Amino acid sequence: MLEVKDLKASIGGTEILRGLSLRVDAGEVHAIMGPNGSGKSTLAQVIAGHSDYDVTDGTVAFRGKNLLELEPEERAREGIFLGFQYPVEIPGVNNAYLLKAAVNAKRKHQGLDEIDAFEFLKLAREKMALLDMDPKLLNRGVNEGFSGGEKKRNEILQMAMLEPSLAILDETDSGLDIDALRAVAEGVNALRAPNRAIVLVTHYQRLLDYIEPDHVHVLSEGRIARSGDKSLALELEEKGYDWVRKAANG
Amino acid sequence: MKSPTLSIDALNKVVAALPEDNLATSRRAALDQFRQDGMPGGREENWKYTDLSEAVAIANRWLEAGAEIPRAGVAAVDDIVRAIDADWIVIDNGQIDTQAVDGTAIAGVEIKHLSSSAEQLTPSGRLGDLNAALLRDGLRISIAASTELARPIGILIVDHADSAATVSQIRVDIDVAANSSAGFIEYHVSNGDAELYANSVVNVTLGDGSRADYVRIQDRDRAHEQTGYQSVTVGRDAELRHCAFDFGGRMVRNDLVIDLANPGGNAEFAGLYLIGDGQHIDNHTRTDHRTGPTESHQEYRGILTGKARGVWNGKAIVHKGADGTDAEQANHNLVLSRNAEIDAKPELEIYADDVKCSHGTTIGQLDETALFYLRTRGLSQHDAKQVLTRAFAQAIVGKAPISSLHDFLADRIAGRLDQLMQETDA
Repeated sequence: MLEVKDLKASIGGTEILRGLSLRVDAGEVHAIMGPNGSGKSTLAQVIAGHSDYDVTDGTVAFRGKNLLELEPEERAREGIFLGFQYPVEIPGVNNAYLLKAAVNAKRKHQGLDEIDAFEFLKLAREKMALLDMDPKLLNRGVNEGFSGGEKKRNEILQMAMLEPSLAILDETDSGLDIDALRAVAEGVNALRAPNRAIVLVTHYQRLLDYIEPDHVHVLSEGRIARSGDKSLALELEEKGYDWVRKAANG
Repeated sequence: MKSPTLSIDALNKVVAALPEDNLATSRRAALDQFRQDGMPGGREENWKYTDLSEAVAIANRWLEAGAEIPRAGVAAVDDIVRAIDADWIVIDNGQIDTQAVDGTAIAGVEIKHLSSSAEQLTPSGRLGDLNAALLRDGLRISIAASTELARPIGILIVDHADSAATVSQIRVDIDVAANSSAGFIEYHVSNGDAELYANSVVNVTLGDGSRADYVRIQDRDRAHEQTGYQSVTVGRDAELRHCAFDFGGRMVRNDLVIDLANPGGNAEFAGLYLIGDGQHIDNHTRTDHRTGPTESHQEYRGILTGKARGVWNGKAIVHKGADGTDAEQANHNLVLSRNAEIDAKPELEIYADDVKCSHGTTIGQLDETALFYLRTRGLSQHDAKQVLTRAFAQAIVGKAPISSLHDFLADRIAGRLDQLMQETDA
């Protein structure tokens, strides 16, 4: 589904990704781990199409399409979802309005009619219940005054409504208490499907207790230093990131 | 820059030819005063950014051509009257639809022609003198004590300039007596291909314990010019809720002067200017806290595209002895183009000790992170910009004290924004 080859990307002239390769197939859950500054978030942002990053080399293909040629909104409509590490507060833009606009943008792209207002509300309420979210949040400004946990749940709600083919969740676990973490993980697990891939970007192993990955990759200095199954995450937890860094350099 | 000069000879002649009605004495007094003071402008600090010379040139051409007043077309008016639930009175190129006024019977409301009122006009500044000198008729709206109006009163000011330079003078006095509450919508529109300069004066008096909800919408043709002066005197424990929207006009200057001379007086006011290429919109507000406790809170926002020019000057004066004053002012601007210009100036003059005053001004662009966020949710760049800009405006729409206007205003803003973004390809 996603094929990243020798990707190099920089921001403001500083190279962050230095030849990263990654292949994610449908039905898989990948965890990308690594210390701060290793390029985890950069990878997520580059795949989503953030214009601050310059891709200087390499390719990113999504279902055979060259992703780097597409605008962020085109990538979204093609089925890529980025869950933000810091979801943006947008006062004055109604949460329900954004959800609906997002769903309809995708439906239009697929040649479908706009979602029926009643249907939309029913669906949103269902997903919110699953995430243990206060239904009132639907009528607030997007993330406006939301707690950390509410913001992350709201990201998962958007994902659940958009049903992406590829979801990249950037540090979705950061700043969550145990209840919020469980709710978010449950939301993600509910979306696991044979035709969908999920990439979890995370600093800690904790999230992986709740969402079990098929593959774990460790990033170091803009490259994947090590790949393995879920036991790699546990090993990492035990030995620390220095272990990977030394192994990569040695 | 010199003060623009109005042709006094032509003005004298035109004023002399006006009928000997109840306004005649006020006209003569105002003309004498205007001859002494002239037009504002030139080096005056208060008029630093706004040039009235084009308005004066229009006025001179109109005066010299005999000061004809065409009757306005009502086509544009019908839509507004239908869309907004209010008791409407139409002022048509400064003339009042007599039938509508005389036939308007609202319990607790008295509406009179100024031309048939024995009262003299209140001096209202230099442009107010020009207004009074040339005034053919105006309105006095009085709300009786302890009246609660169910529907707002709509004052639709429509001006039309079809074939020749046209000037109109609009004047409305509003008196809300003690313990009453009333809503007002002052709506300006204009049309026609010829030059037009409209000069309006609205003086509001709020009795003790009264409340006025006031929304002013200025949506004139973008080639027309306007100056508008509004004063509000706030009684003891009285409340003013005021919200002003500027969409149209080439040169527009609004003065809002609020006088808090009685304890418990409270003024909440806000404004939005949404402007594009070739438009110059100047909002000057002045709040006098003459005693305490009194409160004023103002927030103006601007959205500027193309080569728009915006001016905001918010002045609050806390007079000696006005302890217990709470004065707050804010002005936020969203500049969507490289060529737009905004001059924002908060001014606080404080002569009392126990006061709470604050001001804040921001000038910025759309938040890139928010734009990216919306785009990753599938919204096009154009739509994402629209959504964020509308949200910025919505904060002021929400402050409009007549909530039945909120949807109307949001639609108008969305429509105008679409048009402005297309023009500038922003």
